[in-house]
Formats: sequence, C-alpha cells, structure tokens
Amino acid sequence: MNAPEKVLEEFEQIDFLRDRHVRFFQRTLQVLPERYASLETTRLTVMFFAVSGLDVLDALDVIDRNNMIEWIYSLQVLPTEDQSNLSRCGFRGSSHIGIPYSVKGPGVLHPYDSGHVAMTYTGLTSLLILGDDLSRVNKQACLAGLKALQLEDGSFCAVPEGSENDIRFIYCAACICYMLDDWSGMDIQKAIEYIRGSMSYDNGFGQGAGLESHGGWTFCAIASLCLMGRLEEALSQRELDRIRRWCIMRQQSGFHGRPNKPVDTCYSFWVGATLELLDVFQYTNYEKNRNYILSTQDRLVGGFAKWPDSHPDPLHAYLGLCGLSLIGEPNLRKVHPALNITQRAFQHLQQLQQTWRDNAGTCT
Amino acid sequence: MFYRDRKEWADLEPVPQDDGPNPVVKIAYSEKFSDVYDYFRALLKKDERSDRAFALTAEAIELNAANYTVWHYRRVLLQALQKDLREEMRYITDIIEEQPKNYQVWHHRRMVVEWLNDPSEELEFIADILSQDAKNYHAWQHRQWVIQEYKLWDNELEFVEKLLEEDVRNNSVWNQRHFVISHTTGYSSPAILDREVQYCLNQIRKAPHNESAWNYLKGILQDRGMSSHPGLLEQVLELKETHCSPYLLAFLVDCYEDALENNNQKETLNRALEVCEYLAQEKDTIRKEYWLFLQRSLESRFGPSFDPTVNYCAVYY
Repeated sequence: MNAPEKVLEEFEQIDFLRDRHVRFFQRTLQVLPERYASLETTRLTVMFFAVSGLDVLDALDVIDRNNMIEWIYSLQVLPTEDQSNLSRCGFRGSSHIGIPYSVKGPGVLHPYDSGHVAMTYTGLTSLLILGDDLSRVNKQACLAGLKALQLEDGSFCAVPEGSENDIRFIYCAACICYMLDDWSGMDIQKAIEYIRGSMSYDNGFGQGAGLESHGGWTFCAIASLCLMGRLEEALSQRELDRIRRWCIMRQQSGFHGRPNKPVDTCYSFWVGATLELLDVFQYTNYEKNRNYILSTQDRLVGGFAKWPDSHPDPLHAYLGLCGLSLIGEPNLRKVHPALNITQRAFQHLQQLQQTWRDNAGTCT
Repeated sequence: MFYRDRKEWADLEPVPQDDGPNPVVKIAYSEKFSDVYDYFRALLKKDERSDRAFALTAEAIELNAANYTVWHYRRVLLQALQKDLREEMRYITDIIEEQPKNYQVWHHRRMVVEWLNDPSEELEFIADILSQDAKNYHAWQHRQWVIQEYKLWDNELEFVEKLLEEDVRNNSVWNQRHFVISHTTGYSSPAILDREVQYCLNQIRKAPHNESAWNYLKGILQDRGMSSHPGLLEQVLELKETHCSPYLLAFLVDCYEDALENNNQKETLNRALEVCEYLAQEKDTIRKEYWLFLQRSLESRFGPSFDPTVNYCAVYY
C-alpha cells in the first residue's frame, strides 16, 4: 500500500516551486497579453483557476478579496424590472457584451445579454473561495436560467441562445444546484439517463452517447452523480468496477485522457479525482504521477503545462496543483474531488447552507 | 482604418468594455482589437440587422473565433439578411481548417448544415480534418452527428477499416467501429460477433500492445459472457505465450471472473489470482496496488468461506 508520507520523502528531489506558482496566479489575475483574446468570454473560469489555485496553495492573502468579489457580482445577469429575462439569468464570463459595470439590480435590458452555465458555476465557486456569503446572488433567477438550458435528452446547453450540448454542462449544472442547495434547477432523472447513455462499450464516459470515452467526460459523469447523491443508484456495482478499471488504466506515468494518447498534467486531476470518488485512487502509483506533474512545472514563470517544456497556462497550473493535492503533497490544501474546491472552501459552503436551512426554518 | 474613423460608421456610438474599478484577468487589447469590438458591442446593443454588421462579424471572428456571442449574432444576420448559405459553408470550412479545436466553429457548421439540410460535403470535409489530426474529438463528434442524422452509414465501416490500417492504435477509430456496427447490424448475431472477435485477435497479433483492441474485444463480450464465447479462452492463452501484454492478462482475469460467476471452481479462482499476481509483480507494476486489491476482492468473493489470511475488514469495493 502507498504510505504517502514515506514515499514522498524518497522522491522529493524534484522540488515544488510554491512561490513561483503563487506569482503565476497573481499575474493571471492582473493583466494578460492580447494573445489570450480567445479567453475573453471565459475570463471568469480563468479567475476560478487562479483563485482556487491560490487557495490550494494557502495563499489567498496575496489578493484583494473584496475587489474581486465586486467584480464577480458585476457579472451577474439579474432580472430586469419586469422579470422578462428570468430564463436568461446567471453569470456572464466577462464584460464583453458591453453592459455598464454594476453590482446591483435591476438587470439591464439587452437583446443579447445572458448567463453561461460554466460562468454561473465558476462565479459561485469563486465567490465561495473568496469568503463571500452568496447573499447578493439571486438564487431563484440563477435556477430559472439553469432550468431553461436543459434539453429533452437530459443534457444542458451553455447559453439560452443555443450552443452545443453535452455532459460538461450537466456537471456545471450539478455544481450550481449543489452549491445553491436546490435541485429544482434540473431534472435529475433525465440528467442521469443522459449520463448513463454516455457510457462507452469500454466503460469510460464520452461527451454523449456513442462518443469516445475520455477522462474529462468521465470526471463530469461521476462527479455529477456524486453531487446528486445518486452514484450507486445510477450505476451497479459491476458497472462501477468496470469504470474503476477504465480509469486506473489511464495511468502511464502521469495520466492520459484516452487510450493510446499522450499523458497530460490535467488528467492527473480529472482521472485522479474520479478514482478518488470511486475509492481506488489509493491504488495508483503516486511517485510516477508526481514525477510527471512536476516535470511539466515551469521553473521560470511558475505554473504547469500539459507536457514538459511547454508553455504553462492557468488551467494546467490549477489542475496540476490539484493533482498534487490528491496525492498528499505537503503544504497543499486538500481538494473536494467532486466540487473541485478546497475542503476549506467546502466547509465554508456547508456552514452557509446550514445558515440558510436555519433561516428557512425561522422565516415568516 | 479604424471603424471610429470611417464616416459610414459615424452614426454609431462605440461601446467599450466596462470592468469597473478593479478588473480581474483583464486582457490587454491593441487599439485595432478594441476598435472592432467596441463597434461590435454597439451593433449588438441596437440589434442592428445589416450588411455592415455581417461584415464586421467576420473581423470580430478573425480576432477571436471563440466568442460565441459573435457567432450567434452572425447566425441571426445570416437568417435576417437571407445570406447565401453555400458561401457560409465555404467560410466555415476555411475557419475550421485553421482552428479545428474550437467548439464554436463546429457548432456553427452544424447549424448551417441543418439549415441547408445538406450533409453532402460533410464526410469528405471531416475526413480531411482527420487526416491532419486523426483523433480530433470535435471532428469525430460532428461525424457521428452527420451519420446518425442523415443516415449515412453505408460506407463508414470501410472508412474505419482504412483508418485502422493506417493506425491500429487509434482509439477514436475503434470507437467509431463500435458506433457503426451497433447502429447497423448490431452484435447479436453469432456470425457478426465472431467476425468482430476474430478481427480483434488479428489486429492484436499484428500489434499486441494495443489497449484499444483489447477494450473493444472486452466491450463487445462483457455482457454476452466473456468466458462462454467458444474457443476464445484457448486463443487468448495461446496469445499469452507470444503476444503478451498487460491488456491480455487483464482480459484473462475478466474471463476467469466471468467463469467464476457462473461456476465457482477453485482451479479457476487460483488461475485468476495467479494472473493478478503476475500483473502486480511483473507485467503491470505501475498498477501493482490495484491488481493486489483485485486479487483480494476475487478471493473474498469466490474463495472458501473462511480464510484466516483474508482481511474481512477490507470492503469489497
């Protein structure tokens, strides 16, 4: 059996450059050069990677939390005076539509302004990580916006105007419902059917029925079912064992996302977290995993890349850290494998939810 | 020339981005970039439906093809202005060739194909994209959509075989094989099932260390009785001598497990435990702890009812 502390002592030669990673995330939160233009509509997810990354590093003190909380709230699509846009509410990824900055309602009427499911998800998680109490989130509006995105087959689109639909957005929806402690935003049964339908002949999960199984989509499937509290209802023991086998075969040194593809740092989290949720991460090889992740560390600018000697980016920097956290790397906070936030942020959420339940009980 | 200096655009007030006093993850745009998008935002606000708007969307896309709002607005304009969709197909073909891993461009193509109700270019186009990256997930997804939507199954198995000849380890192609067969002939007929089993074994003889082939073999048999397919176990045991791999051995364990479920024999269990030991200690050591865990599970499920060396506190899964 792996005894993580003993094993880590032996292979600590590759050093983990904590301070470089802190600075990498700090810079990410400030200004990015124009070549990152393709991230414009997803800036909130980039913020999540940096903020959650700093949380994993126990370095949230280096940023101005209150200013960041305000910026996130400025991205909330709030109901207009006549509430005609409820099915479009949620959070935007950025200010790219050109709505004037505002942290409070009522919402501004605009023909093309609407939330995006992945931004609502990362907006809420980022607020939690920064210590906010979500009191300025219009929860009912978020849930109405979410409901409008689910299709007949159980999957979700990203935006009400229409987009591709697949299992990624089921995961975002499950996180939103879980955090808001309210599952009225989705038809769980239909979502479970879509997830089951996405299981491949090889026992991994694809993005949808018939599609190739993949580490990222397998995480979305299993993590969603865990958040819903339906893992063992949706999947039999036999199926769970088969999924465990598919996942554990992904380890090559680090992990890859599909059979016969190269390893990539981010799968140390996607597949690692899935294995953890299935109680078998303990049977993976921590040393080889750690060595791979650290081989993709950028020793100059910090962060991690998908491969060694490649450019780091916020996603791989964050997921590389989470991958290390899963194996018990010292001085990294533990990560909740389904919700993908630190256990510390998760406890803050639990306390908040307890307060909501208490208030609901005493409310007139 | 900047839009702000063009007199044909003087009627529009450009709309800047407004991130407030403390922007986060701010992207530093050049003047040119900001100029195009300030005017995009102005058009969007009025929901203008015009040719100048349509032309501007192409510029905005060139600067950031991942902006889904620009694509949505372009689609609104395509319909409102009754634009030539064939020309749009040519346009989106070029963009996808340049940026084949972008979600928005594939979604846009799908919409245009649907509006035209014409999939006739798709299989060839996707084949071309796959010739540049044979594992592009978006390309395979679009291909499956087209085939299923427009019932273009006829030549797909041939396409699959050709690609497997080029790279028998391409997992996406094995997946496509399963997709095609399960939606056409299915696997129920013994003739088809046997053909597929033999196909797998032949590919394994050529390239033994290929997880995709073994996953496919297990996949088509796992719910039909792995240990009951005539002669299979014997063929696999033969291959073990000359074409061994961790995947072959794992397949063997699964065969034995299947056999045990139908007929719990001590001899079968011992063989399964031996293979787990062989995997753990020699052939798949990266997963040593997993194979030992599996060994314990099998022992606990199928072993004699009491064994003092087994730790009953270890939960089965």
